Amino acid sequence: MLRARSHGWLLSSPYLVYAAVFVVFPLAFSLYLVFHRWDGMAAPVFVGLGNLARLVQDPLFYRSILNTLEFLVIHIPLQIVFALLFAVALNSITWLRGFFRAVYFMPVVVSGVVVTILWQQLYSYDNGVLNTILTHLGLGRVPWVTSPALAMPSIALMATWKNVGLYTVMFLVGLQDIPAEMHEAARIDGATAVKRFLRITVPLLRPTMTLVVVLSTINGFSLFVEPYVMTGGGPLNSTLSTVLYIYNQGFYFGHLGYGAALGFVFALIILVVVLIQRKALESA
Amino acid sequence: MCRPSTATAVLLLSALLAGGCSRNRSASGGGGAVVTLTYWTSTNRQEVALATELVGKWNRLHPKIQVRMQQLPVNQSTEEVIVAAVSAGTTPDICSNIWPGSVPEYARAGALVRLNQFADFDSLVRARMSEAAMAGFRSEDGNSYQIPWKTNPVMMIYNRQLFRRAGIANPPRTYSEYLADAGRLTFDENHDGVVDHWMGYRDVRPIWWQRFFDFYTLYCAAAGDRPIVEKGGVTADPQVCAEVFGFFAECFRNGFYPKTFFQFDPFIAGNVATEFVGPWTISYIKENYAGQIDYGIVPVPVPDSYRGPESTYGDHKCMVIFSTSRHPAEAWEFLKFLVNEEADLRLLQVASQIPVRRDIVWAPSYRSFFDANPDLRLFASQALTAREVGQSPDEKEIFDTISQVFEECSVYNRSTPNEAAAALLKRIGAILAWNR
Repeated sequence: MLRARSHGWLLSSPYLVYAAVFVVFPLAFSLYLVFHRWDGMAAPVFVGLGNLARLVQDPLFYRSILNTLEFLVIHIPLQIVFALLFAVALNSITWLRGFFRAVYFMPVVVSGVVVTILWQQLYSYDNGVLNTILTHLGLGRVPWVTSPALAMPSIALMATWKNVGLYTVMFLVGLQDIPAEMHEAARIDGATAVKRFLRITVPLLRPTMTLVVVLSTINGFSLFVEPYVMTGGGPLNSTLSTVLYIYNQGFYFGHLGYGAALGFVFALIILVVVLIQRKALESA
Repeated sequence: MCRPSTATAVLLLSALLAGGCSRNRSASGGGGAVVTLTYWTSTNRQEVALATELVGKWNRLHPKIQVRMQQLPVNQSTEEVIVAAVSAGTTPDICSNIWPGSVPEYARAGALVRLNQFADFDSLVRARMSEAAMAGFRSEDGNSYQIPWKTNPVMMIYNRQLFRRAGIANPPRTYSEYLADAGRLTFDENHDGVVDHWMGYRDVRPIWWQRFFDFYTLYCAAAGDRPIVEKGGVTADPQVCAEVFGFFAECFRNGFYPKTFFQFDPFIAGNVATEFVGPWTISYIKENYAGQIDYGIVPVPVPDSYRGPESTYGDHKCMVIFSTSRHPAEAWEFLKFLVNEEADLRLLQVASQIPVRRDIVWAPSYRSFFDANPDLRLFASQALTAREVGQSPDEKEIFDTISQVFEECSVYNRSTPNEAAAALLKRIGAILAWNR
């Protein structure tokens, strides 16, 4: 019995070591930093609640939260609508199905930096591909990422293009779990395609929908690469996401303690949002 | 120096996991100890070639003090590498690619050797620069932790062909002249209704170091000896700040500068008529576009009322000795070798970069080089009065604030130049107060 137990510990040890080094220790150390001022080099200085006091008075932190929420409000519905449409379309075709699935999934596996640099060329105001097309059509140029009002929606559009393939695959799996007999019975009863989609497909996809919403919310909260590469958080801080702000504080300005405080508070906010979201979706 | 065991442990562990923090500090030979120094150089191709040559020569001349050269580990910036190395205690003995603005942070962390402890420090520095110039590199505690090695003074390059086509005989010297010329040099060449040629171009993203090459260059040119921050207080000249913000606001408001991000150099492509550049641009043009671009180099523009000497931002790089060195005296000897007259000549010849020497323009050793490279003589002349960022540990945050205000006022016209200048001084004051 004792021997079996020790074997159990031995077999679990790789995970335990991994968790201790990469999860428990960094978390504990971050919590320690919340109450210290540290530039990464000199000895940390205890500041008590100083970092948290600064945080509650920091307008850029609130601005970054609002920016991230703006991104989520645009990105998640777009993501769900397009992913569901693509999944339904891919589920119904038989010709080149594998090819189309691979094509939709391809942007997901391409590096975010590469995608962002490519979209930078599309969005460029004076010499971008989109504005060149618009001017050739006799239309005006659009300040995609140089207008404070349009920059975040433009980033949300790009992020949707990049990630939609992943959620399309999830919806496809959900669609394939719906018994064909249900659609068949509804069709015999005279239900139109739209009715079948709204009354059968959508309700039965609820577990997948919950998963997609929760995952895309968490991914959306971690928005970083796109504004970091494309806009640097501008124009006028309109694309300054919270993770980008935390990164700037921690790694550019050497305020690792303040960065840790921002990170902890932000994690709590994400937790609350996801819990509310789950509750709302499950009770709907 | 006392460091927290937890912090050190996690960083050391990370370094070990990443696969490399073994140190080979010194070895004992049969006939007496051989000291081994580690020297980190930039990853720039020409600087690696220069360092390889100089280290090879040193090692031949000094069998008892051997130097092992390494390129700076790959990372986004030198500063990130150094911070990680300081935390993990894996800094080299010497590094030659240090941005002066980061030195106060390293010094505050006790990571650097105080160089003015060496008896011949003063004589070495006096041979290289004036007392006034050296003062800009002295830390707030009155000590010197860096030797200014090289400088890339920022000047204005202009496309002579575009100026000639626009009927402009001479490049602009003042803001008014610049803006007047800009009206003639910003145009739609192919008449498709879209402007495709501009007077200039600046990256409009709020990236702190981008402001070295627009706001700060023009501030240095117009503010004389008045730094942004000195001895823990805000010393920036609000009038000059407002003039510089206002100048760039005119450029963006009138469309003389595009609000875009080019993936190519628009000056080299012939799309912009002027650019604020360091000597690296000249080397790049000579190497890749020799004879294809008709360009001239002049000092950056100044306010119309300015009457002082020509100055600019110097974009210096320094050498330091890290306090982890077990052989600081030997490291100091090697550092002196890296900045001797001959090594400085090789810096010019191999890397086309300007060594920090007060006699650089007229010393016989460099005359033939400058005769063959008259463009670089212009940069060398500017080097004598070029200024550096301050010696505050908050330089990056200060420049981030400059970037924010620049964006608000100059790029997006959300505040007047005077409001922007007042906001800048106030925000910098808040940063200094918080970080104190």
